[in-house]
Amino acid sequence: MSAVDDTNIDEILESEFKTPYAQRMMIHTLTFLVLIGGWELASFLGYLNELIMPPPSWIAFRLYEMFFVTGSIYWHFFVTMFEATFGFIIGVSIGLSLAITAAISPVFRRYWAPYAVVFNVTPGIALAPFIIAWFGFGWSSKIALAALNAFFPVFINVLTGLLFVDKDMTELFNSLRANRRQYFWKLQIPSSLPITIAGLKLGMTTALIGAIVAEFFSATEGVGILMQRFAFRLNMDGAFATLINMSLMGLTLFTIMEYMDYKVLFWRRHKRMEEVSAKRKARWTMD
Amino acid sequence: MSVEASTRLGTGYTGSLSAALVKHLIIFAVFLTIWEMANRTGIADPLLMPRPTDIVQSIWRIYVTQGNVWLHLWITFQEAMLGCAAGIVIGVSLGVAAVLSDSFRDFLKPYVILIECTPRIAVGPIFVAWMGFGMGSKIALAALVCFFAPFVNTMTGLLGFDEESEELFRSMGATRRQIFWRLMIPTAAPAMGASFKLAVGAAFGGALVAEFISAQNGMGILMARYTMSLNMPSAFAGLLSITLYGFILFRMTEYLDYRALYWRDDDLMAKKSLKRKAKWERTMG
Repeated sequence: MSAVDDTNIDEILESEFKTPYAQRMMIHTLTFLVLIGGWELASFLGYLNELIMPPPSWIAFRLYEMFFVTGSIYWHFFVTMFEATFGFIIGVSIGLSLAITAAISPVFRRYWAPYAVVFNVTPGIALAPFIIAWFGFGWSSKIALAALNAFFPVFINVLTGLLFVDKDMTELFNSLRANRRQYFWKLQIPSSLPITIAGLKLGMTTALIGAIVAEFFSATEGVGILMQRFAFRLNMDGAFATLINMSLMGLTLFTIMEYMDYKVLFWRRHKRMEEVSAKRKARWTMD
Repeated sequence: MSVEASTRLGTGYTGSLSAALVKHLIIFAVFLTIWEMANRTGIADPLLMPRPTDIVQSIWRIYVTQGNVWLHLWITFQEAMLGCAAGIVIGVSLGVAAVLSDSFRDFLKPYVILIECTPRIAVGPIFVAWMGFGMGSKIALAALVCFFAPFVNTMTGLLGFDEESEELFRSMGATRRQIFWRLMIPTAAPAMGASFKLAVGAAFGGALVAEFISAQNGMGILMARYTMSLNMPSAFAGLLSITLYGFILFRMTEYLDYRALYWRDDDLMAKKSLKRKAKWERTMG
């Protein structure tokens, strides 16, 4: 999977809304409750087979059981989170170093970048059986698949960001006699940040997917194998409850990434830009 | 970042294309020789990194002698294509509906964020439990995995039209339908084309993962069987097939994109303009 546009979907969806936030929140909550209520009613009246589409009350009960009664979910949650984040960190380190090397040295880039581009097209998860065969049944195979999945978006995005620098800026730097190191740290890195952060976001989500898919294959602990066990025993409410857990996991990671985006790419949001400018101005004028 | 940019990353060639190709082939041949030697002398474990000669033998076997790979390729192709088509249709319709109706967009917003960060591939076992071991679960998972990119890109593309162009349309008395079909769709076409490329790749991956979970036929289960029986050369042969396959699908979609969005290339644009001019002169006399 190659990288996706880094347009902010929130802004697209947020545009042209005139009703106040609280009112929209209420409408959202009401629609959600109506949907859930309809689902429950359909199940109660017998329209939905309980085996295939369990009613929300069962799912809620199963969630309660998993979280508070048996507490079995915490360990699985932790295992998958750990595999995904550790794999992500490894994938990002390798991807960053290779991309920076490729950006700095044209020789390296000429000989290695084509392979990266070609392999990018293959879904990294297709390598799952190989990774299981190579790394065995333990945690390392999940971490390896997560790292592999995270490597590609990060590598391609960082390389693109570092290579496609604004020509006018480059000329300005040249005319001010900036040396290679200054050019790298002061121009290449900052101008590549938006695309890099987009790549990191994509890498995080694909690392989580990689960890879960590796768990489908062969695992004894983790959210993926938990969901598979539930589903294969036709214990659908457990499977849905685990799915909700995975959403929570994804949401947590997504929020972390969004926060990083908020902090690092401050110039993209008007209010934040003003905040940072005010702080920098204060620091500058104090000197 | 678009895929078009990524395909320009390998450039930096100062010589001719054939010289670069020869250089690459030589490097590849050296790499293969080192691999083979490492295996023969016992440095590399044949389980982890099978010999290139073994891999070539397996390729010959699965393609020609046994010929069992064709059935699996065909099944995976069907699942991926049907899933991709379903996903694209769902994604584009949702995107169009979200753009045309403000309340629908408002309604959809929290669910979009939720869907964006759930690992959709994790729904695989649920689909398999619902639809059984046949092709239905693979198609459904492929559709679920790939619908998001077309949805997001259709929406951003449709909303990204030029304000001045819209004013021009309205000043000429264009109806809403005309504005939609003649302004918004062409503006969205590049983004939609890019998302279709992503969707094809994602659907392929989704079909493979669904096959890993449980299937009787298909490239995913073929590779899984070979690796589980530690028949690594054949598994590598399968992997190479999949890579080639994905690459061909990607190139096909790229070509279709190139033909459909003819205005991005000068030659195609000129040809199309001539054709339209001829048609205009015929009808107008």
